[in-house]
Amino acid sequence: MDEYIVEVQDLVKRYANLTAVNGISFKVKKGEVFGLLGPNGAGKTTTLECLEGLRRSDGGTVRVGGIDPQTDVRKLRKLLGVQLQNSSMPDSIRPSEAMELICAWHRIPPRRDLLNMFGLDPQSRKQYREMSTGQKRRLHLALALACDPAVVILDEPTAGLDVQGRAQLHEAIRRLRHSGVTILMATHDMAEAETLCDRVAILVRGRIATIGTPAQITSAGLGETRIILRTQKNCLLPGRDIGGARFVRQEEDYGTWLCRDAAASVVALLQEVQRAGDTVEDLRVERPSLEERFLELVERDAS
Amino acid sequence: MKALMKHLLIQFRMDIRERGTLMTYYLIPLVFYLFIGAVFTSVNPLVKNTLAASMAVFAATMGAVLGTPVPVVKMRESGVLRAYRVSGIPGWAVPFIHGISAFLHLLIVSSIILITAPVFFGAGRPQDYTAFFLTLVMLLFSTIAIGMLIGAAARSQSMAVMLSQMVFLPTVVLSGIMFPASMLPEPLRMLGRLLVGTYAMEAFSGLAYGLATDFSAPWSILVGACIGILAAGLAMLRFRRMGKSP
Repeated sequence: MDEYIVEVQDLVKRYANLTAVNGISFKVKKGEVFGLLGPNGAGKTTTLECLEGLRRSDGGTVRVGGIDPQTDVRKLRKLLGVQLQNSSMPDSIRPSEAMELICAWHRIPPRRDLLNMFGLDPQSRKQYREMSTGQKRRLHLALALACDPAVVILDEPTAGLDVQGRAQLHEAIRRLRHSGVTILMATHDMAEAETLCDRVAILVRGRIATIGTPAQITSAGLGETRIILRTQKNCLLPGRDIGGARFVRQEEDYGTWLCRDAAASVVALLQEVQRAGDTVEDLRVERPSLEERFLELVERDAS
Repeated sequence: MKALMKHLLIQFRMDIRERGTLMTYYLIPLVFYLFIGAVFTSVNPLVKNTLAASMAVFAATMGAVLGTPVPVVKMRESGVLRAYRVSGIPGWAVPFIHGISAFLHLLIVSSIILITAPVFFGAGRPQDYTAFFLTLVMLLFSTIAIGMLIGAAARSQSMAVMLSQMVFLPTVVLSGIMFPASMLPEPLRMLGRLLVGTYAMEAFSGLAYGLATDFSAPWSILVGACIGILAAGLAMLRFRRMGKSP
Protein backbone atom coordinates (compact mmCIF):
# COMPACT_ATOMS: atom_id res chain seq x y z
CA MET A 1 0.00 0.00 0.00
CA ASP A 2 1.29 3.47 -0.86
CA GLU A 3 2.11 5.68 2.08
CA TYR A 4 1.05 9.27 1.61
CA ILE A 5 3.12 11.91 3.38
CA VAL A 6 1.28 14.98 2.11
CA GLU A 7 -2.50 15.05 1.99
CA VAL A 8 -4.62 17.95 0.84
CA GLN A 9 -8.37 17.53 0.93
CA ASP A 10 -10.87 20.11 -0.39
CA LEU A 11 -8.50 22.99 0.41
CA VAL A 12 -10.10 26.44 0.12
CA LYS A 13 -8.34 29.77 0.55
CA ARG A 14 -9.98 33.14 -0.04
CA TYR A 15 -8.56 36.66 -0.11
CA ALA A 16 -11.50 39.04 0.40
CA ASN A 17 -13.72 38.32 -2.63
CA LEU A 18 -11.15 36.29 -4.51
CA THR A 19 -11.07 32.52 -4.10
CA ALA A 20 -7.42 31.72 -4.75
CA VAL A 21 -7.73 27.98 -4.03
CA ASN A 22 -11.10 26.43 -4.66
CA GLY A 23 -11.46 22.98 -3.13
CA ILE A 24 -8.36 21.21 -4.39
CA SER A 25 -7.36 17.70 -3.29
CA PHE A 26 -4.22 15.72 -3.91
CA LYS A 27 -1.89 13.31 -2.13
CA VAL A 28 1.85 12.89 -2.40
CA LYS A 29 3.55 9.55 -1.78
CA LYS A 30 6.71 9.17 0.28
CA GLY A 31 9.79 9.70 -1.91
CA GLU A 32 7.79 11.16 -4.77
CA VAL A 33 8.59 14.36 -6.68
CA PHE A 34 5.28 16.11 -7.14
CA GLY A 35 4.91 19.24 -9.27
CA LEU A 36 2.30 21.96 -9.08
CA LEU A 37 1.99 23.72 -12.41
CA GLY A 38 -0.20 26.60 -13.41
CA PRO A 39 -0.29 30.11 -14.78
CA ASN A 40 0.26 33.12 -12.50
CA GLY A 41 -2.50 33.42 -9.94
CA ALA A 42 -3.53 29.78 -10.28
CA GLY A 43 -3.09 29.18 -6.55
CA LYS A 44 0.21 27.26 -6.49
CA THR A 45 2.02 29.44 -3.98
CA THR A 46 -1.09 29.80 -1.80
CA THR A 47 -1.44 26.01 -1.68
CA LEU A 48 2.21 25.64 -0.72
CA GLU A 49 1.93 28.38 1.92
CA CYS A 50 -0.98 26.50 3.52
CA LEU A 51 1.25 23.41 3.63
CA GLU A 52 4.13 25.46 5.07
CA GLY A 53 1.93 26.77 7.88
CA LEU A 54 2.30 30.34 6.64
CA ARG A 55 -1.36 30.75 5.71
CA ARG A 56 -4.53 29.64 7.42
CA SER A 57 -6.95 27.88 5.08
CA ASP A 58 -10.63 28.77 4.88
CA GLY A 59 -11.75 25.20 4.34
CA GLY A 60 -10.59 21.64 3.89
CA THR A 61 -7.77 19.79 5.55
CA VAL A 62 -4.03 19.77 5.04
CA ARG A 63 -1.63 17.24 6.56
CA VAL A 64 2.13 16.91 6.25
CA GLY A 65 3.37 13.66 7.75
CA GLY A 66 0.10 13.50 9.65
CA ILE A 67 0.67 16.96 11.15
CA ASP A 68 -1.74 19.86 10.75
CA PRO A 69 0.50 22.79 9.68
CA GLN A 70 -1.91 25.27 11.25
CA THR A 71 -1.78 23.85 14.74
CA ASP A 72 1.57 22.13 15.20
CA VAL A 73 4.13 24.43 13.64
CA ARG A 74 7.01 23.32 15.87
CA LYS A 75 6.75 19.66 14.80
CA LEU A 76 6.19 20.75 11.22
CA ARG A 77 9.51 22.63 11.09
CA LYS A 78 11.39 19.42 11.96
CA LEU A 79 9.63 17.52 9.20
CA LEU A 80 9.46 20.09 6.46
CA GLY A 81 12.20 21.98 4.60
CA VAL A 82 11.08 25.01 2.63
CA GLN A 83 12.61 27.07 -0.13
CA LEU A 84 10.32 30.03 -0.60
CA GLN A 85 9.68 31.79 -3.89
CA ASN A 86 10.69 35.16 -2.43
CA SER A 87 13.07 34.72 0.41
CA SER A 88 16.31 36.24 1.46
CA MET A 89 18.97 36.32 4.14
CA PRO A 90 20.53 39.39 5.75
CA ASP A 91 22.90 41.06 3.29
CA SER A 92 25.97 40.70 5.47
CA ILE A 93 25.54 37.08 6.58
CA ARG A 94 28.02 34.47 5.33
CA PRO A 95 26.82 31.06 4.06
CA SER A 96 28.49 29.27 6.96
CA GLU A 97 26.88 31.66 9.45
CA ALA A 98 23.45 31.17 7.89
CA MET A 99 23.90 27.41 8.25
CA GLU A 100 25.16 27.76 11.85
CA LEU A 101 22.17 29.94 12.69
CA ILE A 102 19.54 27.59 11.29
CA CYS A 103 21.25 24.53 12.80
CA ALA A 104 21.53 26.25 16.20
CA TRP A 105 17.76 26.76 16.25
CA HIS A 106 17.25 23.11 15.24
CA ARG A 107 19.69 22.15 18.03
CA ILE A 108 21.98 20.23 15.67
CA PRO A 109 25.65 20.73 14.75
CA PRO A 110 26.26 22.97 11.70
CA ARG A 111 25.73 21.03 8.43
CA ARG A 112 28.84 22.08 6.53
CA ASP A 113 28.41 18.92 4.45
CA LEU A 114 25.32 20.48 2.87
CA LEU A 115 27.25 23.59 1.88
CA ASN A 116 29.86 21.37 0.25
CA MET A 117 27.17 19.29 -1.43
CA PHE A 118 25.68 22.38 -3.06
CA GLY A 119 29.02 23.79 -4.16
CA LEU A 120 29.19 26.50 -1.50
CA ASP A 121 32.53 26.86 0.20
CA PRO A 122 32.00 26.68 3.99
CA GLN A 123 35.19 28.73 4.46
CA SER A 124 34.00 31.47 2.12
CA ARG A 125 34.01 34.98 3.55
CA LYS A 126 31.60 36.05 0.83
CA GLN A 127 28.55 37.81 2.19
CA TYR A 128 25.00 37.06 1.03
CA ARG A 129 24.85 40.32 -0.94
CA GLU A 130 27.93 39.27 -2.95
CA MET A 131 26.55 35.87 -3.95
CA SER A 132 25.07 35.16 -7.39
CA THR A 133 21.38 34.29 -7.75
CA GLY A 134 22.30 30.66 -8.31
CA GLN A 135 24.46 30.54 -5.19
CA LYS A 136 21.68 32.13 -3.15
CA ARG A 137 19.15 29.56 -4.40
CA ARG A 138 21.53 26.72 -3.57
CA LEU A 139 22.16 28.20 -0.14
CA HIS A 140 18.42 28.37 0.55
CA LEU A 141 18.06 24.77 -0.60
CA ALA A 142 20.94 23.72 1.66
CA LEU A 143 19.31 25.58 4.59
CA ALA A 144 15.98 23.89 3.84
CA LEU A 145 17.70 20.52 4.20
CA ALA A 146 19.52 21.36 7.44
CA CYS A 147 17.19 19.37 9.67
CA ASP A 148 17.08 16.35 7.33
CA PRO A 149 13.43 16.93 6.49
CA ALA A 150 11.23 14.15 5.16
CA VAL A 151 9.46 16.61 2.86
CA VAL A 152 10.91 19.55 0.97
CA ILE A 153 8.81 22.28 -0.62
CA LEU A 154 10.40 24.21 -3.46
CA ASP A 155 8.53 27.22 -4.80
CA GLU A 156 9.84 28.17 -8.24
CA PRO A 157 13.31 26.86 -7.40
CA THR A 158 14.94 27.80 -10.70
CA ALA A 159 13.22 31.13 -11.39
CA GLY A 160 15.75 33.72 -12.50
CA LEU A 161 18.63 31.27 -12.85
CA ASP A 162 20.90 31.00 -15.86
CA VAL A 163 21.32 27.72 -17.75
CA GLN A 164 24.25 26.55 -15.64
CA GLY A 165 22.51 27.47 -12.40
CA ARG A 166 19.39 25.58 -13.44
CA ALA A 167 21.40 22.51 -14.37
CA GLN A 168 23.17 22.57 -10.99
CA LEU A 169 19.91 22.92 -9.11
CA HIS A 170 18.25 20.16 -11.16
CA GLU A 171 21.15 17.90 -10.31
CA ALA A 172 20.72 18.75 -6.62
CA ILE A 173 17.00 17.95 -6.80
CA ARG A 174 17.78 14.62 -8.48
CA ARG A 175 20.23 13.79 -5.69
CA LEU A 176 17.55 14.57 -3.12
CA ARG A 177 15.09 12.37 -4.92
CA HIS A 178 17.58 9.48 -4.87
CA SER A 179 18.05 9.93 -1.14
CA GLY A 180 14.33 9.35 -0.65
CA VAL A 181 13.22 12.86 0.24
CA THR A 182 9.68 13.75 -0.84
CA ILE A 183 9.68 16.89 -2.95
CA LEU A 184 6.76 19.14 -3.66
CA MET A 185 7.58 21.85 -6.15
CA ALA A 186 5.76 24.66 -7.88
CA THR A 187 7.13 25.65 -11.23
CA HIS A 188 6.34 27.52 -14.43
CA ASP A 189 8.90 25.50 -16.30
CA MET A 190 7.22 22.62 -18.14
CA ALA A 191 10.48 21.02 -19.21
CA GLU A 192 11.62 21.09 -15.59
CA ALA A 193 8.39 19.44 -14.45
CA GLU A 194 8.56 16.85 -17.22
CA THR A 195 12.12 15.81 -16.39
CA LEU A 196 12.03 16.05 -12.58
CA CYS A 197 8.50 15.21 -11.45
CA ASP A 198 7.00 11.78 -10.97
CA ARG A 199 3.53 13.30 -10.97
CA VAL A 200 2.17 16.76 -11.64
CA ALA A 201 -1.06 18.62 -11.01
CA ILE A 202 -2.02 21.49 -13.29
CA LEU A 203 -3.86 24.23 -11.42
CA VAL A 204 -6.07 26.68 -13.25
CA ARG A 205 -7.96 29.38 -11.34
CA GLY A 206 -7.64 27.63 -8.00
CA ARG A 207 -8.78 24.22 -9.22
CA ILE A 208 -6.90 21.14 -10.33
CA ALA A 209 -7.47 20.85 -14.08
CA THR A 210 -5.62 17.55 -14.34
CA ILE A 211 -3.34 15.35 -12.29
CA GLY A 212 -1.09 12.41 -13.16
CA THR A 213 2.33 11.52 -14.51
CA PRO A 214 3.67 13.84 -17.21
CA ALA A 215 3.15 11.03 -19.75
CA GLN A 216 -0.45 10.46 -18.64
CA ILE A 217 -1.23 14.15 -18.84
CA THR A 218 0.24 14.66 -22.28
CA SER A 219 -1.43 11.57 -23.68
CA ALA A 220 -4.79 12.61 -22.25
CA GLY A 221 -4.82 15.73 -24.42
CA LEU A 222 -5.95 15.93 -28.01
CA GLY A 223 -3.54 13.05 -28.57
CA GLU A 224 -2.20 14.29 -31.89
CA THR A 225 1.34 13.50 -32.92
CA ARG A 226 3.33 16.08 -34.85
CA ILE A 227 5.21 15.12 -38.03
CA ILE A 228 7.78 17.59 -39.32
CA LEU A 229 9.24 16.90 -42.72
CA ARG A 230 11.69 18.50 -45.18
CA THR A 231 12.40 17.13 -48.64
CA GLN A 232 15.06 18.02 -51.17
CA LYS A 233 12.65 19.39 -53.82
CA ASN A 234 9.91 20.58 -51.44
CA CYS A 235 7.45 18.34 -53.22
CA LEU A 236 4.96 18.45 -50.33
CA LEU A 237 4.90 22.23 -50.21
CA PRO A 238 2.72 24.24 -50.20
CA GLY A 239 1.20 21.72 -47.85
CA ARG A 240 -2.05 19.79 -47.93
CA ASP A 241 -3.70 17.02 -45.94
CA ILE A 242 -2.27 13.62 -46.84
CA GLY A 243 -3.99 10.47 -45.62
CA GLY A 244 -4.73 10.91 -41.94
CA ALA A 245 -2.17 13.71 -41.57
CA ARG A 246 -3.59 17.22 -41.30
CA PHE A 247 -1.32 19.95 -42.62
CA VAL A 248 -0.93 22.77 -40.09
CA ARG A 249 1.91 25.04 -41.16
CA GLN A 250 4.99 25.67 -43.24
CA GLU A 251 8.14 27.14 -41.75
CA GLU A 252 10.85 27.78 -44.35
CA ASP A 253 11.33 24.38 -46.06
CA TYR A 254 9.66 22.42 -43.26
CA GLY A 255 6.06 21.27 -43.37
CA THR A 256 4.20 20.28 -40.21
CA TRP A 257 1.32 17.79 -40.02
CA LEU A 258 -0.76 16.60 -37.09
CA CYS A 259 -2.17 13.09 -36.94
CA ARG A 260 -3.70 10.53 -34.58
CA ASP A 261 -2.17 7.43 -36.22
CA ALA A 262 1.51 8.35 -36.48
CA ALA A 263 2.69 5.18 -38.27
CA ALA A 264 0.04 5.29 -41.01
CA SER A 265 0.53 9.02 -41.55
CA VAL A 266 4.32 8.74 -41.81
CA VAL A 267 3.93 5.97 -44.37
CA ALA A 268 1.41 8.05 -46.37
CA LEU A 269 3.73 11.08 -46.37
CA LEU A 270 6.78 9.03 -47.40
CA GLN A 271 4.82 7.35 -50.21
CA GLU A 272 3.85 10.81 -51.48
CA VAL A 273 7.48 11.88 -51.45
CA GLN A 274 8.51 8.72 -53.30
CA ARG A 275 5.78 9.22 -55.89
CA ALA A 276 7.06 12.74 -56.59
CA GLY A 277 10.62 11.43 -57.11
CA ASP A 278 11.81 13.51 -54.16
CA THR A 279 14.00 12.46 -51.20
CA VAL A 280 13.55 13.09 -47.47
CA GLU A 281 16.21 15.29 -45.88
CA ASP A 282 14.76 15.56 -42.36
CA LEU A 283 11.90 13.76 -40.64
CA ARG A 284 10.82 14.27 -37.04
CA VAL A 285 7.93 12.68 -35.20
CA GLU A 286 7.10 14.42 -31.92
CA ARG A 287 4.54 13.62 -29.30
CA PRO A 288 2.80 16.64 -27.70
CA SER A 289 4.80 18.14 -24.86
CA LEU A 290 3.55 18.85 -21.37
CA GLU A 291 3.74 22.52 -22.29
CA GLU A 292 1.29 22.06 -25.16
CA ARG A 293 -1.08 20.12 -22.93
CA PHE A 294 -0.72 22.85 -20.30
CA LEU A 295 -1.56 25.57 -22.83
CA GLU A 296 -4.48 23.51 -24.09
CA LEU A 297 -5.92 23.31 -20.56
CA VAL A 298 -5.35 26.98 -19.82
CA GLU A 299 -6.86 28.07 -23.15
CA ARG A 300 -9.82 25.76 -22.68
CA ASP A 301 -10.45 27.35 -19.29
CA ALA A 302 -10.13 30.86 -20.71
CA SER A 303 -12.63 30.13 -23.48
CA MET B 1 19.74 29.49 25.20
CA LYS B 2 22.58 28.17 23.03
CA ALA B 3 20.64 29.11 19.92
CA LEU B 4 19.99 32.60 21.28
CA MET B 5 23.68 33.10 22.07
CA LYS B 6 24.74 31.86 18.63
CA HIS B 7 22.15 34.10 16.98
CA LEU B 8 23.34 37.07 19.04
CA LEU B 9 26.96 36.43 18.12
CA ILE B 10 26.15 36.24 14.41
CA GLN B 11 23.92 39.33 14.59
CA PHE B 12 26.64 41.28 16.40
CA ARG B 13 29.18 40.34 13.71
CA MET B 14 26.73 41.22 10.94
CA ASP B 15 26.11 44.64 12.50
CA ILE B 16 29.84 45.34 12.41
CA ARG B 17 30.03 44.34 8.73
CA GLU B 18 27.04 46.52 7.82
CA ARG B 19 28.27 49.97 6.80
CA GLY B 20 24.98 51.75 7.53
CA THR B 21 24.73 50.23 10.99
CA LEU B 22 28.33 51.02 11.75
CA MET B 23 27.71 54.66 10.79
CA THR B 24 24.64 55.11 12.99
CA TYR B 25 25.95 53.07 15.93
CA TYR B 26 29.54 54.29 16.02
CA LEU B 27 30.84 56.70 13.43
CA ILE B 28 28.32 59.57 13.47
CA PRO B 29 27.80 59.59 17.27
CA LEU B 30 31.57 59.60 17.86
CA VAL B 31 32.25 62.29 15.24
CA PHE B 32 29.42 64.40 16.68
CA TYR B 33 30.80 63.84 20.17
CA LEU B 34 34.27 64.96 19.09
CA PHE B 35 32.81 68.02 17.38
CA ILE B 36 30.67 69.00 20.35
CA GLY B 37 33.52 68.26 22.74
CA ALA B 38 36.00 70.37 20.78
CA VAL B 39 33.79 73.29 19.70
CA PHE B 40 30.57 73.48 21.65
CA THR B 41 32.12 73.18 25.09
CA SER B 42 34.09 76.39 24.48
CA VAL B 43 30.91 78.17 23.30
CA ASN B 44 28.85 76.88 26.22
CA PRO B 45 31.05 75.69 29.12
CA LEU B 46 27.98 74.35 30.95
CA VAL B 47 27.89 71.52 28.42
CA LYS B 48 31.24 70.29 29.77
CA ASN B 49 29.79 69.11 33.08
CA THR B 50 27.51 66.51 31.57
CA LEU B 51 29.19 66.00 28.20
CA ALA B 52 29.44 62.20 28.59
CA ALA B 53 25.77 61.97 29.57
CA SER B 54 24.44 64.24 26.82
CA MET B 55 26.54 62.50 24.17
CA ALA B 56 25.39 59.10 25.47
CA VAL B 57 21.80 60.29 25.00
CA PHE B 58 22.70 61.45 21.48
CA ALA B 59 24.45 58.16 20.62
CA ALA B 60 21.66 56.02 22.06
CA THR B 61 18.92 57.96 20.29
CA MET B 62 20.84 58.02 17.03
CA GLY B 63 21.72 54.32 17.11
CA ALA B 64 18.46 53.00 18.48
CA VAL B 65 15.91 55.30 16.88
CA LEU B 66 17.63 55.94 13.55
CA GLY B 67 19.69 52.75 13.32
CA THR B 68 17.42 49.87 14.31
CA PRO B 69 14.10 50.43 12.50
CA VAL B 70 15.30 50.39 8.88
CA PRO B 71 17.08 46.99 9.07
CA VAL B 72 13.95 45.53 10.67
CA VAL B 73 11.72 46.87 7.88
CA LYS B 74 14.26 45.70 5.30
CA MET B 75 14.23 42.18 6.78
CA ARG B 76 10.47 42.13 6.51
CA GLU B 77 10.38 43.56 2.97
CA SER B 78 13.09 41.32 1.54
CA GLY B 79 11.66 38.09 2.93
CA VAL B 80 14.31 37.44 5.60
CA LEU B 81 11.67 37.14 8.32
CA ARG B 82 9.70 34.62 6.23
CA ALA B 83 12.86 32.65 5.48
CA TYR B 84 13.74 32.62 9.20
CA ARG B 85 10.22 31.56 10.10
CA VAL B 86 10.10 28.55 7.75
CA SER B 87 13.59 27.60 8.95
CA GLY B 88 12.36 27.22 12.51
CA ILE B 89 13.53 30.55 13.99
CA PRO B 90 10.72 31.82 16.24
CA GLY B 91 9.26 35.20 15.30
CA TRP B 92 10.04 36.83 18.67
CA ALA B 93 13.74 35.93 18.41
CA VAL B 94 14.49 38.27 15.51
CA PRO B 95 13.53 41.63 17.13
CA PHE B 96 14.79 40.39 20.50
CA ILE B 97 18.26 39.52 19.17
CA HIS B 98 18.32 42.67 17.07
CA GLY B 99 17.56 44.72 20.17
CA ILE B 100 20.14 42.99 22.37
CA SER B 101 22.81 43.42 19.70
CA ALA B 102 21.96 47.14 19.36
CA PHE B 103 22.09 47.41 23.17
CA LEU B 104 25.62 45.99 23.25
CA HIS B 105 26.88 48.25 20.45
CA LEU B 106 25.39 51.36 22.03
CA LEU B 107 26.70 50.37 25.46
CA ILE B 108 30.18 50.15 23.92
CA VAL B 109 29.95 53.56 22.23
CA SER B 110 28.50 55.18 25.39
CA SER B 111 31.33 53.67 27.44
CA ILE B 112 33.90 55.03 24.98
CA ILE B 113 32.37 58.48 25.40
CA LEU B 114 32.25 58.15 29.20
CA ILE B 115 35.91 57.12 29.41
CA THR B 116 37.33 59.61 26.89
CA ALA B 117 35.28 62.76 27.64
CA PRO B 118 37.22 63.74 30.79
CA VAL B 119 40.55 62.88 29.12
CA PHE B 120 39.96 64.66 25.80
CA PHE B 121 37.82 67.62 26.87
CA GLY B 122 38.14 67.87 30.63
CA ALA B 123 34.49 66.91 30.97
CA GLY B 124 32.97 66.21 34.37
CA ARG B 125 33.11 62.66 35.72
CA PRO B 126 29.94 61.12 37.20
CA GLN B 127 29.86 61.12 41.00
CA ASP B 128 27.95 57.86 40.94
CA TYR B 129 28.91 55.43 38.20
CA THR B 130 26.23 52.92 39.23
CA ALA B 131 23.56 55.59 38.75
CA PHE B 132 25.14 56.51 35.41
CA PHE B 133 24.95 52.93 34.15
CA LEU B 134 21.48 52.40 35.60
CA THR B 135 20.27 55.46 33.70
CA LEU B 136 22.14 54.31 30.60
CA VAL B 137 20.43 50.90 30.74
CA MET B 138 17.02 52.60 31.02
CA LEU B 139 17.90 54.93 28.15
CA LEU B 140 19.11 52.11 25.89
CA PHE B 141 16.17 49.84 26.70
CA SER B 142 13.61 52.57 26.04
CA THR B 143 15.17 54.02 22.89
CA ILE B 144 15.68 50.54 21.41
CA ALA B 145 12.07 49.66 22.24
CA ILE B 146 10.96 52.83 20.41
CA GLY B 147 13.22 51.90 17.48
CA MET B 148 11.68 48.41 17.36
CA LEU B 149 8.18 49.87 17.52
CA ILE B 150 8.98 52.11 14.56
CA GLY B 151 10.47 49.11 12.71
CA ALA B 152 7.36 47.05 13.41
CA ALA B 153 4.88 49.80 12.55
CA ALA B 154 6.47 51.37 9.45
CA ARG B 155 5.21 50.00 6.16
CA SER B 156 8.32 50.92 4.22
CA GLN B 157 11.91 51.91 4.80
CA SER B 158 11.22 55.55 3.87
CA MET B 159 8.34 55.68 6.35
CA ALA B 160 10.63 54.21 9.01
CA VAL B 161 13.21 56.95 8.35
CA MET B 162 10.49 59.61 8.59
CA LEU B 163 9.12 58.26 11.89
CA SER B 164 12.65 57.92 13.28
CA GLN B 165 13.42 61.54 12.46
CA MET B 166 10.22 62.57 14.23
CA VAL B 167 11.69 61.16 17.44
CA PHE B 168 15.38 61.86 16.86
CA LEU B 169 15.30 65.55 15.92
CA PRO B 170 13.11 66.69 18.83
CA THR B 171 15.34 64.65 21.16
CA VAL B 172 18.41 66.56 19.99
CA VAL B 173 16.70 69.94 20.41
CA LEU B 174 14.31 69.46 23.34
CA SER B 175 15.81 66.90 25.70
CA GLY B 176 18.50 69.14 27.11
CA ILE B 177 21.53 67.54 25.49
CA MET B 178 22.60 70.70 23.63
CA PHE B 179 21.48 73.22 26.25
CA PRO B 180 19.48 72.94 29.47
CA ALA B 181 15.82 72.19 28.90
CA SER B 182 14.98 74.95 31.41
CA MET B 183 16.07 77.47 28.76
CA LEU B 184 13.26 76.33 26.44
CA PRO B 185 9.88 78.08 26.23
CA GLU B 186 7.16 76.29 28.21
CA PRO B 187 5.32 74.69 25.25
CA LEU B 188 8.56 73.17 23.95
CA ARG B 189 9.52 72.06 27.43
CA MET B 190 6.18 70.25 27.70
CA LEU B 191 6.79 68.64 24.32
CA GLY B 192 10.21 67.55 25.51
CA ARG B 193 8.57 65.65 28.36
CA LEU B 194 7.26 63.15 25.84
CA LEU B 195 10.83 62.12 25.04
CA VAL B 196 12.89 59.44 26.75
CA GLY B 197 15.99 61.59 26.21
CA THR B 198 14.60 64.30 28.50
CA TYR B 199 14.09 61.86 31.37
CA ALA B 200 17.49 60.29 30.75
CA MET B 201 19.18 63.71 30.93
CA GLU B 202 17.32 64.53 34.16
CA ALA B 203 18.34 61.18 35.69
CA PHE B 204 21.96 61.53 34.55
CA SER B 205 22.17 65.07 35.95
CA GLY B 206 20.43 64.38 39.25
CA LEU B 207 21.57 60.84 40.09
CA ALA B 208 24.94 60.42 38.39
CA TYR B 209 26.30 63.99 38.51
CA GLY B 210 24.50 65.31 41.59
CA LEU B 211 23.27 68.42 39.78
CA ALA B 212 20.00 70.27 40.25
CA THR B 213 17.14 68.97 38.08
CA ASP B 214 13.77 70.28 36.93
CA PHE B 215 11.93 67.26 38.33
CA SER B 216 12.66 64.23 40.50
CA ALA B 217 15.57 62.20 39.09
CA PRO B 218 14.39 58.77 40.37
CA TRP B 219 10.95 59.46 38.89
CA SER B 220 12.66 60.32 35.63
CA ILE B 221 14.14 56.83 35.47
CA LEU B 222 10.75 55.34 36.21
CA VAL B 223 8.91 57.45 33.60
CA GLY B 224 11.62 56.75 30.99
CA ALA B 225 11.39 53.04 31.72
CA CYS B 226 7.59 53.12 31.51
CA ILE B 227 7.79 54.73 28.06
CA GLY B 228 10.18 51.92 27.07
CA ILE B 229 7.93 49.19 28.48
CA LEU B 230 4.94 50.64 26.64
CA ALA B 231 6.88 50.83 23.36
CA ALA B 232 8.27 47.30 23.83
CA GLY B 233 4.78 45.95 24.54
CA LEU B 234 3.30 47.60 21.46
CA ALA B 235 6.24 46.42 19.33
CA MET B 236 5.78 42.85 20.59
CA LEU B 237 2.08 42.93 19.75
CA ARG B 238 2.86 44.20 16.28
CA PHE B 239 5.58 41.57 15.73
CA ARG B 240 3.22 38.86 16.93
CA ARG B 241 0.63 39.98 14.39
CA MET B 242 3.30 40.06 11.69
CA GLY B 243 4.34 36.54 12.66
CA LYS B 244 0.86 35.26 11.92
CA SER B 245 0.64 36.80 8.47
CA PRO B 246 2.70 35.29 5.63
